[in-house]
Amino acid sequence: MDSAEPSFVIPEAQAESLAARSGLTVSRWLPSLVPSAKTLARPPISRYHVCAVGLGPSGRVFVGVNLEFPGLPLHHSVHAEQFLLTNMSLHSEPHLTHLAVSAAPCGHCRQFLQELRHSSDVQLLVSPEPDLDSSADGVGNVGHGPDVDFKPLPVYLPHQFGPHDLLSKNVPFLLEPHDNGLYLLVEQADNSSRSNGNINPVDYPLVQAALEAANASHSPYSNCPSGVALADRHGRFYKGSYAESAAFNPSMSPMQAAIVAYVAGGGGGYEGIVRGVLVEKEGVAVRQEETAKLFAKVVLPKCEFRVIHCGTKLGQQQCEENGGGIQSKRNY
Amino acid sequence: MDSPEPRFAIPAAEAESLAVLSGLPVPQWLPTLVPSAKTLARPPISGFHVGAVGLGSSGRVFVGVNLEFPGLPLHHSIHAEQFLLTNMSLHSEPHLTHLAVSAAPCGHCRQFLQELRRASDVSLLVCPDPEESAVGNGNPGSAMDYAPLLTFLPHRFGPHDLLSKNAPLLLEPHDNGLSLVFDPSATDSNDADDPLVKAALEAANASHAPYSGCPSGAALMDGEGRVYKGSYAESAAFNPSMLPMQAAMVAYMAGGGGEYEGIVRGILVEKEGMVAKQEETAKLFAKVVLPKCEFRVVHCRVRSGEKAGG
Repeated sequence: MDSAEPSFVIPEAQAESLAARSGLTVSRWLPSLVPSAKTLARPPISRYHVCAVGLGPSGRVFVGVNLEFPGLPLHHSVHAEQFLLTNMSLHSEPHLTHLAVSAAPCGHCRQFLQELRHSSDVQLLVSPEPDLDSSADGVGNVGHGPDVDFKPLPVYLPHQFGPHDLLSKNVPFLLEPHDNGLYLLVEQADNSSRSNGNINPVDYPLVQAALEAANASHSPYSNCPSGVALADRHGRFYKGSYAESAAFNPSMSPMQAAIVAYVAGGGGGYEGIVRGVLVEKEGVAVRQEETAKLFAKVVLPKCEFRVIHCGTKLGQQQCEENGGGIQSKRNY
Repeated sequence: MDSPEPRFAIPAAEAESLAVLSGLPVPQWLPTLVPSAKTLARPPISGFHVGAVGLGSSGRVFVGVNLEFPGLPLHHSIHAEQFLLTNMSLHSEPHLTHLAVSAAPCGHCRQFLQELRRASDVSLLVCPDPEESAVGNGNPGSAMDYAPLLTFLPHRFGPHDLLSKNAPLLLEPHDNGLSLVFDPSATDSNDADDPLVKAALEAANASHAPYSGCPSGAALMDGEGRVYKGSYAESAAFNPSMLPMQAAMVAYMAGGGGEYEGIVRGILVEKEGMVAKQEETAKLFAKVVLPKCEFRVVHCRVRSGEKAGG
């Protein structure tokens, strides 16, 4: 099937056959997807569309685009490369081998990409669209012929700082399976259960989805995993996990990750989201609650949003105010 | 004079003479300040201290350290390099020539540094090991390992991709042409006379926000009535932008401020209904980090007949 509409995931067999039809290997065919993938971006502030197309070892191809949210500070923006990794995570794709982008990744993204265990092996190609108003120089344009020039990611971020500097080898990296051992406080008969109040049984599946997302969350630096689940008016769920960066600021918030799931899952306008839940540990050093509520208030006008706290089975350890996730290179 | 206490700014003449005393040119002497600068950092979440020492074209030396804020998402963190640039901005230092850091700058900072006009020419030295940063191994003329920032972020994306050549960049003078909006329903009608509001408005007028067109500024006041102001500073890559409250916290720290409970009042000035709106985020920051601070938001607008600069 030749898909005229760009999509966020292309199955392996389809990617193979489309590439073969262009006479290319899948990795060399990637850049040809860039122009149409860009149209999926939603950047109302800058109007600067960016897309990132990635190939995983499964042979599947994934797309990421940038999202911007008027009415919020700019750090709520989602970059195409972050969207891509979040999309891959949703589909349990364990690695990124090749990445074609419509513009050189910014430093924020080059840093976020370090969260991959084999970030040094990621092959990156910058493939800007030919400028129709001036003579295209042919360099890096749609993946034909010898100008296709993948370079390893360390070329773009030499002397990098990342998880390898802070974490022990057996701690899971981004895209690897995580289980943070979290449970809903409401299930417990201790005093803390009252902090969540009553959960309407109708909401329980959405709360469970948010808990799953929190359990899958990559938060090795602060040990403050969290997850969000959003529901549209058709009752479809979209989950997003908080994904931390060793450099802190480029971390991907759980709301943003859930919005990626919504957009990648074919979601339309944001007013289609009617319910949302954030699950996180209570009173921790890195807290999403108020920020997630603000995001919902500004971006999701029809969304009933609530926060549910969870506890952790891992030694019943709450994340102290002083964090400490990275000081003890802990083994999971 | 050998100053044992680390400081956030060293005047040019003093920097020269301290360097001469060490037998080094100032750029080679910079790294010796890094270990003590690190001690000024406040990173309660990671425990990972970072120090950045910068030399300006005026000959003054500035220090930046990292700050972390428990109770908030991590994007509220301030990196040492951002602290440094904000500190330089406070002191109207127009150019950064040399930068010595205790750890390789992360991609977020390498990106934020692109907001400088001659970012590619900034000479950067990573000196994680105290031994390596000591007096040039008895060889004053030996080249320390400074490399141009361009080598740390090749194929960069930055303001030059988005702005015209005459748009002011970070550390260059800005005037956003803002004045206060008169709010008839406000119970406090003394905003125009309030030094804290005036400082926040000045900070908003000096704010570098060419991508969103949404400048803003914050001002904090301590118990002695001292005012610390900070301007919002945008990054072409959006997410690395420096928030106004964070910039004001840098002013507080660099101005010798102690504990955060010392801050008793705060004002944010921004335009109403902006695409990049700081209000709720600034309020949250004050609520979580500044327990004694009475915080308020005051709106401004572009003066009619004036074009907002930058």
